Amino acid sequence: MQKIHSKRGIDFRIRGWPGERLIELDDPDRVAVPVDKLPVAKAGLLVKPGDRVRLGSVLFADKKRPWLKFLSPGAGRVSQINYGPRRVIKELVIDLDGDEKYVDFERFSLAGLRAAGRREIVDAIVAGGLWWALRRLPFRDVPDPDVVPPQILVGLAAKEPFSPLVELVLRDDPDLLRTGIEILEKLAPKVIVYTHADNHEVLRTAGDVVNLVVDGRYPADDPATVLYRTKQSASENRSWYIDYQDLLLVAGLLTTGRLPTRRIFAVGGTRAPSRVHFRSRLGVPVSHLVDIRAIEAGSRLIAGGILRGYSLEPDGFMGIFETGLAVLPANREAEFLALFRPGFNRPTNSRAFASRLRRRELEYDCGRQGPERACISCMYCADVCPVDILPQMLYKAILAQEVEEYLAHGLLDCVRCGLCSYVCPSKIELTENFEKAKMEYARQQ
Amino acid sequence: MNWLRKFFDNQRRHFQPGGKWERWEFLFEPTEKFLFGWQQLTSGPPHVRDSLNVQRYMVFVILALLPCLFFGIYNVGYQGLLAAGRPAGLWPSILLGAGKVLPLVVISYAFGLGWEVLFSYVRRHPISEGVFVTAMLFPLTLPPTTPWWQVALGISFGVVIGKEIFGGTGRNFLNPALTGRAFLYFAYPVQMSGNAIWTAVAGSGRAVDAVSAATPLAVAASGTGPVEKALADAGYGFAKLFTGLYPASIGASSTLLCVAGAVFLVALGIASWRIIAGGAAGILATGWLLNLLAGPSAPAFWKLNPVFHLVMGGAAFGLVFMATDPVSAPDTHAARWIYGLLIGALTVMIRVLNPAFPEGIMLAILFGNVFAPLLDYMVVALRLKKRIPNV
Ligand code: SF4
Ligand code: SF4
Repeated sequence: MQKIHSKRGIDFRIRGWPGERLIELDDPDRVAVPVDKLPVAKAGLLVKPGDRVRLGSVLFADKKRPWLKFLSPGAGRVSQINYGPRRVIKELVIDLDGDEKYVDFERFSLAGLRAAGRREIVDAIVAGGLWWALRRLPFRDVPDPDVVPPQILVGLAAKEPFSPLVELVLRDDPDLLRTGIEILEKLAPKVIVYTHADNHEVLRTAGDVVNLVVDGRYPADDPATVLYRTKQSASENRSWYIDYQDLLLVAGLLTTGRLPTRRIFAVGGTRAPSRVHFRSRLGVPVSHLVDIRAIEAGSRLIAGGILRGYSLEPDGFMGIFETGLAVLPANREAEFLALFRPGFNRPTNSRAFASRLRRRELEYDCGRQGPERACISCMYCADVCPVDILPQMLYKAILAQEVEEYLAHGLLDCVRCGLCSYVCPSKIELTENFEKAKMEYARQQ
Repeated sequence: MNWLRKFFDNQRRHFQPGGKWERWEFLFEPTEKFLFGWQQLTSGPPHVRDSLNVQRYMVFVILALLPCLFFGIYNVGYQGLLAAGRPAGLWPSILLGAGKVLPLVVISYAFGLGWEVLFSYVRRHPISEGVFVTAMLFPLTLPPTTPWWQVALGISFGVVIGKEIFGGTGRNFLNPALTGRAFLYFAYPVQMSGNAIWTAVAGSGRAVDAVSAATPLAVAASGTGPVEKALADAGYGFAKLFTGLYPASIGASSTLLCVAGAVFLVALGIASWRIIAGGAAGILATGWLLNLLAGPSAPAFWKLNPVFHLVMGGAAFGLVFMATDPVSAPDTHAARWIYGLLIGALTVMIRVLNPAFPEGIMLAILFGNVFAPLLDYMVVALRLKKRIPNV
């Protein structure tokens, strides 16, 4: 088994990781597809409010690529279509009626799967509305099904706070993962399945499919980091990846002929009323996972990890990619002369606070911790970047709009892990600017 | 501290858009935050941020400099009393020294901050905290006898020409404090040349209230016999040079305190140990090389034990507090090594080979500053070549 080690990154000693307990939740009244968080240019609606839909009915498709369909994650009635700024569809809400009528999709036996060709598998995933689960590096967009990627990366990974424990998710049905990997092997000549060197349970139970072990701090387990550490040539840059929980959905779809909806969510953060894992369904309202009234005022709900996720309103829904929900304090108390205090409980990656003397978990909050200032060339950002970018130089190249230069600096290798922004003492929004530049570049392609 | 909190809360409206002091918001904000911390939240990912900010970074640099300042105050008073032939007790020394040194520090801060505020006001920029470090560094490099107007002129030159005309902190390529120091050095060589050092004599009523004596570097450069002996004869034993208790510039003489400052700053991850180590290695290696090359007819200075170069003059102070200024130093780790080595080597070469400049560290660092972008450019070019392209 190949092993890679990344030296850089950060080990967050953060309080509020969810425990190993898994709670089964009853179905919510409503589910939704948050459209604005999807990698689609423009959604063309195929339903209107009041329509009855089944589990698996097509709700909308990408206008530019009509085959990229998004299906209803439940049976019931389309109750609301919410719009965001500039009339962009924000989310589609479906009131569940509980009878769970569903659309039938093609169903494969294990032998059938093995005998199927690439075309058949692709068609089944596309028709089953799960093609979005596959993502293409470096833009993390949805790939063209007709292109054969150099490889597909599957991370059995959970370093970003707060992601579900992989072993807990896999305990459900260990064979489903194997089926999923067989499916991927139809799509690409090479499938890389990796996990953490310290995740002994996964190595024991899924060790037969794991072919790469990663060792290192966050974001050593991000597919883009793994690609950067393993790639031999530029031809691998457009590799695909898929989240392991999404892979389980794909495997479920093909083996049952029915759109699976089960998801395991991790709820963490010091302000979360209960920090546990929940088994619920795709598109669940946030208020179903946490008791909103039990959350202290001045907290922030973050879907999808505290470094890369987005904040949600209490009436929001979990996006289809997101499996983690964090509730963190977002009301900083004034602390008199904090600048001069030793800071025994201040989270930091530097050595400038007394908290470094003790190894214990600390409370993180959503404070910016300082004003934005000019770069002082401290190089903290370069010291944490997992893909050897010099963020402050990349930032200058982007400000100067030197396209050749920022590409040479590795903009497209950026994992958007957020670590450079995290450590920057000048509080410069490095990651945000990199992501914008990357998207801008993708548009011009 | 609630009354203070209330006071700020009440005053805030005047500084908000439409308030009567709207344009002075850039002064209100930092003062308030300095006292109570920053309450703004992140607006997007990453949602959490490191507790370290530039302000704390600067506070630590100033903290590391304070021992040098306190020692400087004591030393200036002590030397002044000695020169006047009076008993140099602890408290009289401190009192006399404080009277001589503190005005210079105050002037430095007043003018440094004044320019910073002016530029911030005109450009509508936030105040850059770097000026607090600059205004502390600058007077420490001066002789205690520097006239007040020269202090004002020097810090103004450093802040305006060394920094602001390039667009402020982060865009300057020279160390502002050192720029100001070099300006005085070249503009007023008589007082500043460093051949002779200056003692502010206690309580003298004469028009010229200073005596001067040859500095260790001048002794070393002019000696004919073994330099170590010449230094010892002039009263500069190794221990004395190391502790810094001799007439010298205000805060830069004590190698001991510079080492302490270096340990403090490196332990906290503030100063680049690569620059300091590179600089020390450059000094020792070059000194040693001169030892090797020195023929029988070479000047005695060539044969000086290289360790002396580290403890004489401002070498340690420059390496620890000036060369490590991250803005004017190169960015990449490899370039920082080279930069340190370059500064160390140049320091010794200027001292030993160029009779016109007894002290080399100042010019060496400024020279290093000028070359820093080039060093970075080369290191980055090599680094980028190793990347597998992704376009
Ligand atoms: S540039 Fe910043 S966001 Fe991108 S990979 Fe490096 S540290 Fe992460
Ligand atoms: S961490 Fe921020 S201040 Fe430091 S070098 Fe990077 S961008 Fe500049």
